[in-house]
Amino acid sequence: MNPFVWRRGKAEKLLSLPVLEECFCACRQLPASMASSKKVVTRDEWERKLRDVKIRKEDMNRLVMNFLVTEGFVDAADKFRIESGTQPDIDLATITDRMEVKKAVQSGNVQEAIEKINDLNPTILDTNPQLYFHLQQQKLIELIRVGKINEALEFAQEELAPRGEENQAFLEEIEKTVALLVFEDVKNCPYGELLDVSQRLKTASEVNAAILTSQSHEKDPKLPSLLKMLIWTQNQLHEKAAYPRISNFSTAALEDPAI
Amino acid sequence: MVANQEAAATESAPAATVDAMRLASRWRSPAEWEAAAAALEAEPLPSQLNTDNSSGLFAVVSIDKMSVKYLGVNHHGHDVGVVQADCPAPTHRAVYYFEMTVVNAGLKGQTSIGFTTESFKMRRQPGWESQSCGYHGDDGYLYRGPGKSESFGPKFTSSDIIGAGINYISQEFFLTKNGSLVGGFPKDIKGPLYPTVAVHSPGEELTVNFGKEQFCFDIEGYILEEKMKQQSVSDKLYLQPDISHWIVRSYLLHYGYQDTLNSLDMASETDPPANHQNGYGEPPEMYGLSHRKMLRQLIMNGDIDSAFKRLEEWYPQVIKDKTSVICFLLHSQRFIEYIRAEHLEDAVKYARANLANFLTHKAFEGLLKESVALLAYEKPSESCIGYLLDSPQREFVADAVNAAVLSTNPSMKDPESCLYSCLEKLLRQLTVCSSELRVFNNDQGDAFLLHKEVQTCERSRRS
Repeated sequence: MNPFVWRRGKAEKLLSLPVLEECFCACRQLPASMASSKKVVTRDEWERKLRDVKIRKEDMNRLVMNFLVTEGFVDAADKFRIESGTQPDIDLATITDRMEVKKAVQSGNVQEAIEKINDLNPTILDTNPQLYFHLQQQKLIELIRVGKINEALEFAQEELAPRGEENQAFLEEIEKTVALLVFEDVKNCPYGELLDVSQRLKTASEVNAAILTSQSHEKDPKLPSLLKMLIWTQNQLHEKAAYPRISNFSTAALEDPAI
Repeated sequence: MVANQEAAATESAPAATVDAMRLASRWRSPAEWEAAAAALEAEPLPSQLNTDNSSGLFAVVSIDKMSVKYLGVNHHGHDVGVVQADCPAPTHRAVYYFEMTVVNAGLKGQTSIGFTTESFKMRRQPGWESQSCGYHGDDGYLYRGPGKSESFGPKFTSSDIIGAGINYISQEFFLTKNGSLVGGFPKDIKGPLYPTVAVHSPGEELTVNFGKEQFCFDIEGYILEEKMKQQSVSDKLYLQPDISHWIVRSYLLHYGYQDTLNSLDMASETDPPANHQNGYGEPPEMYGLSHRKMLRQLIMNGDIDSAFKRLEEWYPQVIKDKTSVICFLLHSQRFIEYIRAEHLEDAVKYARANLANFLTHKAFEGLLKESVALLAYEKPSESCIGYLLDSPQREFVADAVNAAVLSTNPSMKDPESCLYSCLEKLLRQLTVCSSELRVFNNDQGDAFLLHKEVQTCERSRRS
């Protein structure tokens, strides 16, 4: 039911109240002289706020430990456990296994990697058809790299082709990879980047993430996402206020607010 | 040897520029930390209907204050039975949500749900007045102030469950019917908002659920999705490659975790993707690394006497002023170590000789009193000040000594950098930015708190 038709005059009077309130809020935040521009937080004020923040050392230690563990620095994680007394958030032995698999992919021993993954947990590849496909694709790439043309052809036909039938995206990937065979000088092949180290790294990090997930651990370390959150939050705040920002994360130096 | 060179270089550098007590926020006891974290989230939550300000003429609220029924015979638009919750929706969170069940749609089915401010006129439907909004059952319209109504969702009637929420992340209201999202709209009302329901024709009755019962709508899933939306926005931001690695490395350097650092560097050299370090230069915190590592070890093992000796040998200027913060912290830690070893007599003797003269210093009073109070307990570790015997207290002293040693580096220009690692500076910046941003959003939404963040990574592991 809409009773507004006969009440409009009254409603307009009511409206002025919140408008006033809004002006009041705005004035409270801004010095009168610059009511039209952004709020400015001086360096002194900002530094005072920074000083008042309470951050627990143990929490920072945990953040660092989480990085070492997730990135697979097993020795460093173990040393950090001893030096800082921080307990790792995963069994350190599992890192060693994970890193062996990762290393195998990075150095082109894909078959070894696949076997190791299955030793670790056979459900990983069963439940990740895409990961399994990328490993097979990597294996094909490695065969082409070392010039085992016959073996590569056989592998492509027997193992990869059937997978292309089940998935259009897989098929395109297979086509790109097989194209490498056609070019004698692979540098000129439009898909030459598949032979690049970065392709190995990409596959390796996919493997790494899948193993972490299977161990119910987050696949990415917390720190980079906090750094991104810092970029995002600084940008958001920048729209509303001028304040000392940090642009260079490696020095964490405060910059004077741009007025 | 590096050691001599360092010591020689620092003869003249002042050590007093660093106020190690600023690290004191670290040695708050764990219980205090939990309390501080909880206090941030401890907001009153709506739990029942407010019977004090309701338009008693037109509706009656049940004894348990969880349902309302229309009493009068409605003749016009000023005889609504409208009821607010007993307190406004909490704001220190990502999302607030509540539900109502239409028990009986009565004669005209004019039940409604929405949000209103404290000054709302308690005889009107939510949404009819400015600074309010409401979703009405008889037409399925959304009302957002005088003259502002629009077709919004399905009508609702007896036995329907209707929910209303505030999404502080996107700054939107949203409404649900029987567990599905009906829609959202911008939150343009300022100030504390009361969950509000209304009945407006004979026979109408509804009950509210402020979260005591399971909600019909999957609110947890909704929150997760909204957070992921925000996350995916920030995930697309560009981050310098390997910056995390650099920050972790400088953290290890800062605190003198040398063994960890060496392992990390060794792994990075043999590991192809981790060709880090390039582009950022060497941090200034290489200074005195092996000394700082040893001092930390000694203090973490409770061997304060040796720490004193080493400091005397390597960085005499740090403990030259016998009334300095560093001397006080080391002496009080020595005292605490006597207590830990249950050498009470030695503890008393040590306190008389070394701690008594700090009593006149206001800044030390708190820690000093608490440390001395350890003597009063038969089982000090179980007392309320037992945290002094925990390892974070040792770590606090070790961090303070570390900062003092760093401050003797003549090329360390910024005293802040002695106290805080790069990581800590960034986390402080994030905390302040996030809380300032909250202020601009009228104090609504989630504020960043590192303690909560690292806990969620623990939690997600366990679940």
